[in-house]
Amino acid sequence: MLQELINPYYLQVLTFILINIVLGLGMYVTLSTGQLSLGHAGFMAIGAYTSGILTFTYEMPLFVGIIAGTLLAGIFGLILGLPTLRLQGVYLAIATLGFGEVMRVVFVNWESMTNGAVGLSGIPNLGREMTDALRNIGFEASSIGLRSNALGSLLVFLFLLVLAIIIFIFFRRQSQSRVGRAFAAIKMDESAAEAMGINITYYKVLAFVQGAMAAGFAGAIYAHVTGYISPSDFDYHRAIDILIFAVFGGSEVVWGPVFGAIFLTAVPEFLRAIAEYRYMIYGVLLVAMMAFRPQGVIDHRVLYRFKRKRQDKKAAKRKKEVR
Amino acid sequence: MAVLEVKNIAKRFGGIQALTDVNFSVGEGEVFGLIGPNGAGKTTMFNIITSMFPPTSGDITFLGEKLNGLKPFEITKKGICRTFQNIRLFPDMTVLENVTVGGHCRTQSGVWSSVFHTKKQKQEEAAASKRAFELLELVGLSEQADEFADNLSYGQQRRLEIARALASDPKLLLLDEPAAGMNEKETNDLFDLIQKIKASGITVLLIEHDMPLVMRICDRMAVLNFGKEIALGTPEEIRNNPEVIEAYLGKEEEDEN
Amino acid sequence: MVWEQLINGITLGSIYAVIALGSTLVFGVLGIINMAHGAIFMFGAYLGVMATSTLGLSLPLAFLVAIIGSGILGLLLELLALRPLRGKKGVSHLAPLISTIGVSIFLENLAHHLFGAGNKPFRTSFSEVSFQVGGLTIYAVQIVIFVIAVVLMVGLSIWLSKTKAGRALRASAEDLDAASLLGVNTKKIILMTVIIASVMGGIAGVLTGMAFNSVTPQMGLSMGLKGLAIIILGGMGNVRGAVVGGLILGLSETLVVMFGESGYRDAIAFVAIIVILLVRPQGIFGKTSEARR
Repeated sequence: MLQELINPYYLQVLTFILINIVLGLGMYVTLSTGQLSLGHAGFMAIGAYTSGILTFTYEMPLFVGIIAGTLLAGIFGLILGLPTLRLQGVYLAIATLGFGEVMRVVFVNWESMTNGAVGLSGIPNLGREMTDALRNIGFEASSIGLRSNALGSLLVFLFLLVLAIIIFIFFRRQSQSRVGRAFAAIKMDESAAEAMGINITYYKVLAFVQGAMAAGFAGAIYAHVTGYISPSDFDYHRAIDILIFAVFGGSEVVWGPVFGAIFLTAVPEFLRAIAEYRYMIYGVLLVAMMAFRPQGVIDHRVLYRFKRKRQDKKAAKRKKEVR
Repeated sequence: MAVLEVKNIAKRFGGIQALTDVNFSVGEGEVFGLIGPNGAGKTTMFNIITSMFPPTSGDITFLGEKLNGLKPFEITKKGICRTFQNIRLFPDMTVLENVTVGGHCRTQSGVWSSVFHTKKQKQEEAAASKRAFELLELVGLSEQADEFADNLSYGQQRRLEIARALASDPKLLLLDEPAAGMNEKETNDLFDLIQKIKASGITVLLIEHDMPLVMRICDRMAVLNFGKEIALGTPEEIRNNPEVIEAYLGKEEEDEN
Repeated sequence: MVWEQLINGITLGSIYAVIALGSTLVFGVLGIINMAHGAIFMFGAYLGVMATSTLGLSLPLAFLVAIIGSGILGLLLELLALRPLRGKKGVSHLAPLISTIGVSIFLENLAHHLFGAGNKPFRTSFSEVSFQVGGLTIYAVQIVIFVIAVVLMVGLSIWLSKTKAGRALRASAEDLDAASLLGVNTKKIILMTVIIASVMGGIAGVLTGMAFNSVTPQMGLSMGLKGLAIIILGGMGNVRGAVVGGLILGLSETLVVMFGESGYRDAIAFVAIIVILLVRPQGIFGKTSEARR
C-alpha cells in the first residue's frame, strides 16, 4: 500500500531541500546584481516569526501568516536595501550581517512577542492544516491507504514542490529577460551599466527586496513545517548555510543554488558520520571554492556543455531519422 | 538650434583645477572633435556631460534643456550615449548581449511581463535582438555575435562599444578615443563607420589623438590644454593655430608625416 | 557604583581596543576585512583556559601558549586562505571576505569539537583579589587587563613608529605597490601583519577569559563583529581610532547594562556598524572611505 512507499522522514528531508532551494534562489537574485547580502537569515527570521506569531498568538489562518511574513520581510528588505545602495561589496556584506545579528538580538529580547530565547512552539503545522482542509471536503487519508500525518507530509512536500518550481521559473525567466540583463550589467560594471541607461537604484533595490521576500517566504514555511522556532535557528550558521548554497553550488546561474541546496542538504543525510563536522567542511569548502573555483560548481560553461550535449544528441537523432 | 551647449564649465578636484571656463557648442549632424594633450581634461568633460560627476560651475544644455542634476541613466534616456577610453564592456556577456543591453532604455519589459512571457514582451525581445544584430552588422561584428566580449581583439572591442552605445538610439554620441590602438586599416574602417553614423543624423562628439583621422573627419574642433580651451574652430584654423602647435610640441607635425 | 561601572567599561574597552588593533592592522596593510579574527581570538581564549585549568600552568605561561597558538593560526590563515587569492586574475573583492568567513566557521566548529560546547570556567590564582580605593572596589584582574592592554597599545605604537619593520608595515599600509618598489619585502610584511594581529587577538582572548571568568565558542563571532564595529567607528586602518573606538564601545555597553537593558548590549555594536557605514563611513579618524561610491 501507499503507506509503505511513503517514508515521512525522507519526505521531511525533501521538504527541507525545497525550503533551502528557495533560500538559495533568494541569495542568488541579490547576488546577481553584485550585492552580497549576509542578512538573509534575518529576513528568514522575520518571515518565520511574523507567520508564527500571527497564526499561533493571533490565530490567523495559515495563508495570511505566510503572505504577511513574506511581505514584511520584503518591507524590511526595502528599509535595509535603499540606504545601503551606495555601500561597496564588502561593506554591504558586513552591514547586512550586522542587520541579521540585530534581528536575532531583537527576537531574543522581545520576549512578550517572541518568547525570547526559549522560542515559539505550537506553531500550526502546514501538513495538518492541509489534511484538515481535505477532510472538510470529504477526503480522508485512509481512502488512499495513508495515515493522516503521512498524508500531511506528502501534501506539504507536493505543495512546496509546486511553489519551488514556480519560484525557480520566476527567477529563471527574469534572469533571461531585459531585467536579468540589467542585473548582470550592474554586477559586471555598475558605472558602465548606468551610462548605458540602466536605473541602477531601481534594479538593485528590486533584487534586494526579491531576495528578502524569498527568504521571508522560506522562513514562514519553515515555521509551519517544524512547528517550533527560536532565534538560534536564524543565527550566523543559517547565514552561512544560505551563503554556501550559492557560493558552492554556483553564484552566476540560477541553477547554481538549486544544485547547492540539493547537494548540501542531501549529502549529510547519507554521510551521517561527517554530519557532525558539517561546518568544518563548509569552512574548508568556502576557502577552497574561493581559491579554485570562485564561481561555484555550476557556471555558464557547465550549462553550455549540457546544452550542447542535448543539442548534439538531438542533431544525431535527426540524422538517424533522415537516413 | 545647437544640439549641445557647453557653457563656462569648470571642474575642480580637491587641489586640481581640471577644467577652466570651457565653452563650445555642437551643431546638429556635426562631427565635433575635442582634442588636446593627455591630461588636458577631455575625458573629464565627457564625464561631466554624462553626469558621472557634476561640474563645479557652468551648465550643459542638450537640445535646449539643461542637464544639471540629472542621473547618468536619465542622460542616456534623453539621447546622449558614450564609449569609454579604457573600454568598459560587460565581459561575461556575449557580443550580442552587450549590444542588447545598450538598448535597455528604449525597451520597457518589467518583471511581470518578463516572467509571464507576454506577447508584448516577446515582440520586444525579438525586436531588440534584431536591432542589436543590425548594429553588429553596421560595425562588422555580426560573425562574433555569440562570442564572449572579452574574447574579442582590442579593435573589435572598440567597435563593440560603439554598437552598444548606438543601441540606445542616441542623438548625440560621445566617442572617447575610439581609434586608440588601431592600425591603419582599422582606423580607415572607423572613419567609414563615423561617416555612416553622421549620415544617419547622429551628432558626434569625438575625443581623439589620431590627428590625421581628426583632421579628416571633424567639421569643427575645440582644443584643450591643462583644462583650458585654447582654440575653437575648423580643422584648417586649428592646424595653423600657433598655440595649438605649441601645446602639442610638434606632435602634430610628426603625425602628419 | 557608577565609578565601578566606569572601571568595568574601561576594562572592557581596553580588551576591545586590543582586538580592534588587530583588525585595523590587517585592514590597513591587506585592505581586507578579516572575519576569522574573532575565531582566532576565541581560540586564544581557549588555549589560555586549557593551559591554566587542564595543564595547571601559571598565567604568564598561559599567555605564552595563547600567543604561540594564535600566531600559528594567523600564519596558516595567511598562507592557506589569503595568499592563494592574491594576484589571481579576476578575483573579486568579496573573495577574501568569504574565505575568512570559511576559516571562522571552521575554527568555531573545531573548537566545539576540541573543547566542548559549554562555558569553560577560567580561574586565575588572583581572581578574587581586590583593592579598596576610596570606597571603590577594584579587582586585581581589572588592573592587570588594563596594564597589559596599555602595554600592548604603546608597544605597538612605538614599534610602528620607531623600528624599521614597523615603518615598513606603515609604508605597506599606505601603498603596498609603492612599498614593494622601494624594496620592502611585502610578502613578509603581510605575513608579519597577520601574525601580529592574530597574536593580539589571542592575547585579548585570554584577557577576556580573565575578565568574564568563562569562555564559549560563540565568543568568536560576537567579538569579531564588535572588532569590526570598532574599526568602522574609529576609522578603518587607523590605530588611534581602534583604541578610541574600543573604549567608546566598552563604555557604551557598560552604560546600557547599567540602565537595565543588558540583553540589547550586543546589539549596540551591530547597529553601530550599519549606522556608521551609512552616515560617516570613514569613522571618527578616517579620511574619505572607499566604503561608498
